[in-house]
Amino acid sequence: MTEKNTNKTPDNKKIGVYICYCGGNISDHVDVEEVKKRAEKMPNVVVARTNMFMCSDPGQELIINDLKSGKIDRVVVASCAPSLHEATFRDAIKRAGSNPFIYEHANIREQVSWVHQGDPATDKASVLVASAAAKAKLLKPLDPVRVEAKKHTTVIGGGIAGIKTAIDIAQTGINVTLIEKSSVLGGQLNNLDKLAPSGEKASEVLQELLDQVLNHKSITIHTDCKIEAVQGYVGNFSLSISKKSNNKIEKFNIETGAIVMATGAIPYIPFDGEFGFGRHEQVITLQNLIQILKDNKSTGSILEVNGKRIRNIVMIHCVGSRQIPGIHQPKEDGKLNEYCSRTCCAAMLNASNQIRENFPATSIYEMYRDIRTYGRGQEELYTQASANKVVFMRYETDAQPEVSLTSGSDYPFQVKVKDSLTFNEEMDVPADLVVLATGIEPDDVSGLASMMKLPIGTDKFLLEVHPKLRPVEFPITGIFLAGTCQAPMDAGEACNAAGAAAVKASALLRKGFIELDPFVAEVNPDKCQGHGACIEACLKEGALNLVEVENDGKTVKRAQVTAAMCLGCGACAAVCPEKAIDINGWALKQYEDMVDAIVSDGFAV
Amino acid sequence: MSTINLDFAEELKEYSDDKALECFNCGTCAAICPLVHDNFPRRMIRYVQVGAREKILENSDELWRCLHCGLCTHTCPREADPGEIILGLKRFVVANWRRS
Repeated sequence: MTEKNTNKTPDNKKIGVYICYCGGNISDHVDVEEVKKRAEKMPNVVVARTNMFMCSDPGQELIINDLKSGKIDRVVVASCAPSLHEATFRDAIKRAGSNPFIYEHANIREQVSWVHQGDPATDKASVLVASAAAKAKLLKPLDPVRVEAKKHTTVIGGGIAGIKTAIDIAQTGINVTLIEKSSVLGGQLNNLDKLAPSGEKASEVLQELLDQVLNHKSITIHTDCKIEAVQGYVGNFSLSISKKSNNKIEKFNIETGAIVMATGAIPYIPFDGEFGFGRHEQVITLQNLIQILKDNKSTGSILEVNGKRIRNIVMIHCVGSRQIPGIHQPKEDGKLNEYCSRTCCAAMLNASNQIRENFPATSIYEMYRDIRTYGRGQEELYTQASANKVVFMRYETDAQPEVSLTSGSDYPFQVKVKDSLTFNEEMDVPADLVVLATGIEPDDVSGLASMMKLPIGTDKFLLEVHPKLRPVEFPITGIFLAGTCQAPMDAGEACNAAGAAAVKASALLRKGFIELDPFVAEVNPDKCQGHGACIEACLKEGALNLVEVENDGKTVKRAQVTAAMCLGCGACAAVCPEKAIDINGWALKQYEDMVDAIVSDGFAV
Repeated sequence: MSTINLDFAEELKEYSDDKALECFNCGTCAAICPLVHDNFPRRMIRYVQVGAREKILENSDELWRCLHCGLCTHTCPREADPGEIILGLKRFVVANWRRS
């Protein structure tokens, strides 16, 4: 395995290995000096050094001095995870006047000292350093892919998230086009009344935003729009739009540098007969109740709905949310909403409090599975509801409340519940009105998502790159997401996400050009025979094309990479029969040498 | 199975302080009660809370087990005064006994 391949080119490379103590984080378990001794014997390694903190200025100086003096021309740092300090060390190399991509990282903290101890830890650290060095000798200087970027963003969706994104981007001096499919801006906010938990009127919040968005000179708004096609790549997207106006369809294109998806969500609509919904006028959804409270002019001590006095309301939580396979009835497409819609508990309690405070003669029974009042000021809504003498009953999923019409009773409905707070006794609760706490469902944007190759989660919401570290980004560079197209959120959370997406988009376009990592496919023109296998394997439409070129006076076909669109996945490299295409920074030969270094016994004792 | 009586809270006001809805079902009263009897007095408080009037009359024997030691009232984290509610229920049951 360790036999030297005599054809290997870069045997003259001079590698410097720098091993970090991490102030004991690494050196408590890894014998760092022993790793250094072993590294010194590795092929091409000319210098091996250790430091208490490689990321400190003195640590970085070690690298800079060795590069400047010409002692080394390739760098390996063995320290923490590359997500923490890879950029730090690349920057140090740049300051030494060298190309930052002659760098390789070995993670001996998270992958070694935090999970192993004793000799095995030292051995594993040595192996990781050996494999990084094996890769490093094949590293070549690379230049970031530079893409000219239009200083313009398109926001898709004119709800609160879209409006807020548009305003925040426009404030940074970047032009914005806001596209809305319906004829009005505001989205679901138009259907809300007093927002939980603050009690602010949704209409006032919306008006404040509309005043800003409608009057901002850098924001263009198009309503009644449909997106027909999306093409291009970061900095240079092109959207084909068709817009209805005065019974005519107008078509136009938008050239834009970045796209923010703010396509929103819709309320869950119960199926016919779910808790009596659709069969009885007095079985309504949370959204219906909010509308009723918004329009209500009752002045007495009892709530009146459609002229009927409502003496008691039964509210049923988790309708269309937290559905369980085998218990809940799936939709026609077999889909269940297994997630929590998050906003309904607070909205229900908010409505209950309004009713109990304004109409004390109307009593309320809330039947819940779990109350989830998760945000600031929301638990207070629950406490307030208790103080307002709202009665809580708890049902288990396998014994759902049953709504039925009564005969011979004063009340039109009775709701049978097996109440676990009353030791699982069954009770019939009379009701004049039944309210279902219907949750949030993603709007169907599968067409748009497939046009842009955006991932959709199993819950049908759009899926970000990483829920914690990159929460408003898609894997496609230059496309972001904000608001309830991603997950159930309340208005405040949607604005948070909007602000984050706006900053991300602005930072991306600010300079007018974008530098992308150079880890993209490159074709070796001497080897390529124009088979086209790579183009079939390519995941990103437009990243690889066959083009005609002159070769010895003949016109031949050769693969050509559009670097800005390449995902660097390597699918092309895997299928090329000529091995004529490879990924810069992650070449097949590098992998082979890394594996060789790992399986050779030389570096671990 | 029992049917909830939505007017029960109003009816009970004549006999007891209207504090049952302060209770958040923690069970401290049942844990501290020296009778150690089948969730007493917690179950009774819950019946009052939801308006299970018939259940109270059906199980009214239980009320007379109470020693009125006051431990439940003393330890209730919500100051719902379970001891007083039990006393009130006794008054209610006595007033309704012959009628049922």
